[in-house]
Amino acid sequence: MSSRKKVLLKVIILGDSGVGKTSLMNQFVNKKFSNQYKATIGADFLTKEVIVDDRIVTMQIWDTAGQERFQSLGVAFYRGADCCVLVFDVTAPNTFKSLESWRDEFLIQASPRDPDNFPFVILGNKVDLDNRAVSAKRAQQWCQSKNDIPYFETSAKEAVNVELAFQTIARNALAQETEAELYNEFPDQIKLNANDNGRNRDGDNCAC
Amino acid sequence: MASTSKDVPIVTIEENPPDDLEPGACYDSILNPTDSFEEFASEMSSSLQERNISLAAINSTISEIQSEIGENSAQIKTTKSSDDLQNKDESISASTSNSNLIEQNGDDTDNEKDDYLQTPELVNKEKHVFILSSAGKPIYSRYGNEDKLAGLCGVIQALVSVVEEQNQDILRSITTKDCKAVFLVKGPLILVAVSKSNESETQLVLQLTYAFNQIVSVLTLTQLNRIFEQRRNYDLRRLLSGAERLIDHLLIFMEKDPAFLLGAVRCLPLPEKARENITSAIQSTCNKIRDLVFAIMLAGNQLITLVRMKKYTLHPSDIHLLFNLVRSSESFKTAESWTPICLPKFDSTGFLHGHVSYISEDCQACLLLLTVQRDAFFPLSQAKHTIAEKLRRSNCLVAINDALNRNEELPTTNPLKHIGIPEIRHFMYKCKSTAQLFTSDPISLDKLQDYRMRHKVGGDIMVKKIEKLSDIDYVRNYRRFCSSIHCTSTPAKLIFRSNSSDTILAWVTNGFELYVTFDPLMEKDQAIKAVDRLLKWIKKEEQRIFIMHAPTF
Repeated sequence: MSSRKKVLLKVIILGDSGVGKTSLMNQFVNKKFSNQYKATIGADFLTKEVIVDDRIVTMQIWDTAGQERFQSLGVAFYRGADCCVLVFDVTAPNTFKSLESWRDEFLIQASPRDPDNFPFVILGNKVDLDNRAVSAKRAQQWCQSKNDIPYFETSAKEAVNVELAFQTIARNALAQETEAELYNEFPDQIKLNANDNGRNRDGDNCAC
Repeated sequence: MASTSKDVPIVTIEENPPDDLEPGACYDSILNPTDSFEEFASEMSSSLQERNISLAAINSTISEIQSEIGENSAQIKTTKSSDDLQNKDESISASTSNSNLIEQNGDDTDNEKDDYLQTPELVNKEKHVFILSSAGKPIYSRYGNEDKLAGLCGVIQALVSVVEEQNQDILRSITTKDCKAVFLVKGPLILVAVSKSNESETQLVLQLTYAFNQIVSVLTLTQLNRIFEQRRNYDLRRLLSGAERLIDHLLIFMEKDPAFLLGAVRCLPLPEKARENITSAIQSTCNKIRDLVFAIMLAGNQLITLVRMKKYTLHPSDIHLLFNLVRSSESFKTAESWTPICLPKFDSTGFLHGHVSYISEDCQACLLLLTVQRDAFFPLSQAKHTIAEKLRRSNCLVAINDALNRNEELPTTNPLKHIGIPEIRHFMYKCKSTAQLFTSDPISLDKLQDYRMRHKVGGDIMVKKIEKLSDIDYVRNYRRFCSSIHCTSTPAKLIFRSNSSDTILAWVTNGFELYVTFDPLMEKDQAIKAVDRLLKWIKKEEQRIFIMHAPTF
């Protein structure tokens, strides 16, 4: 009964407003795409089960608002994340430039135990559009300079690489999770006669 | 709260001459007579800062006592009420995802998760309880599959955080027309009850605190905190697997047993002599065993006796957790067990080790021997067999069985018949100084048996009118009176309420709490007279109904 070992991963999606975070998530979770733009207020939550190496993994996806005025939740949202997905729009160079600050912001707010090896994934979205402005090479170079962050070129509209990208996200987060198995030590015996815990101040030490 | 017997306030008793003691009161109590309501009320009125301080200081008993004193004096301070909050900052509703989530419901009707919130396993339940980590990861849900509720947990975490971080305040509850959502943030966990029942906010917080303590009882608070300090993304279900059952049972238990409502412990009514024999059998067998802290015998969620190391008493809430553990572990019936148990009020930082076993095949009394030695199984096992043998020889097992099977000859089996006031339908009495409870119709074992059957199903809102009221239904009716009496701002001393279905009298004094249900046409003075006779009867039977001694090793 206890062998079912469920896994749940908290995945945060960050990036400037309008780069397609919500669309990517909708494509991944619901297999749907809409051309209409609707700003995310605060955050959206979706879950999806995926199978990684025969393990069933529930991805709890936190789709955050890109617009600055909804950015107030920082710490609370990032706390305890297993993976962070940074999204930019390949047709909008400024959204690519923002990646740096999104990443820094995340690391500061979430303050993961091992920031250098925290699993990020970068998605260059909207590759279906003609007016591309950030080359794959440029994006890859940046990713390499940041400790080899995996990079995917996606189209939420045409479902290009979306599935693959999220599979990688789940796998990388899972790898972190299994790395450190702690808490096997048997904890904390109660010490009745320890003088420092103050319980025995009455001075009566007879335990019988 | 590992209080020493020195801490036990016996002030109320000392003030009165012995003859005036309220029924059930005695000089020395085995239990901590802490008023659980005051405690939870102060939990609810403490501010964010105070909460963080008290959590940080929880490790040592000294600072715990200190922080308690702090909390009590802080009761006068009021934090911003939830009403203020709603008016104060409209960005709360705007910046959390609630609105988005709802919008999405409309857009994607085939969305699996959104459908899930509408499935029969979740809809129409009287009460939901959700437990999640402060990262928003699901840990426990009373109903349904918590994995599929990950989205909901995200929303809960967002609501709690927005109030905490933008407003520097604590989200306590959200009330809608027919539903209350009550939030409790404790250490690294967020606990939420969503209820359509008549329970008050304080009563729901009390239940959430119990659920939290149940988790602590499995892990210790030290380990719980340490895990999340090291890994805030930890999925606590991995450590709790197998313990969900304990939380399930505890939540059902709390709905049914007024012991939780009143912060008191039920005792198994026994002839004075029988209880004495049982106690001395345990004392004489165990007084040479070093480091044995508590020896507890219980049956059917009722306490038979408790022998303790001098200086240490137990809090009712710790006893409730032990009841729950025994009740929900079928395996104790088949073998002697050796299990680590953390009693959060006694010491939340470490484990006691318990030898747990039923006395014999023909007697459903369970004996727990709790020690601080982790390798004391064999001496304790030996002690248990000696105790069992002594009890058999002195006919105590028969006495226990008579009480458990509710033998008609015992006056305590059917108190109403015995008292002879036909207008009284039901009563519930708590002796405050000893934290013990007696009701006119103790929940029988059969009724407890179906706790286990219900498990995660059931719990639906009942529309059908119940024909014959049981203890549980009376207790449901008392909830409202109980919260008026325990209200911190304007507590009531005496409530008399009459309507077409019944008359209820609730009365609290320094020494006791009493709730009585009469027939609907009961006059006030008549009721007072009846209560007088009732109290006399309880006084007369107190030696059977209550544990009047506080034996030590």
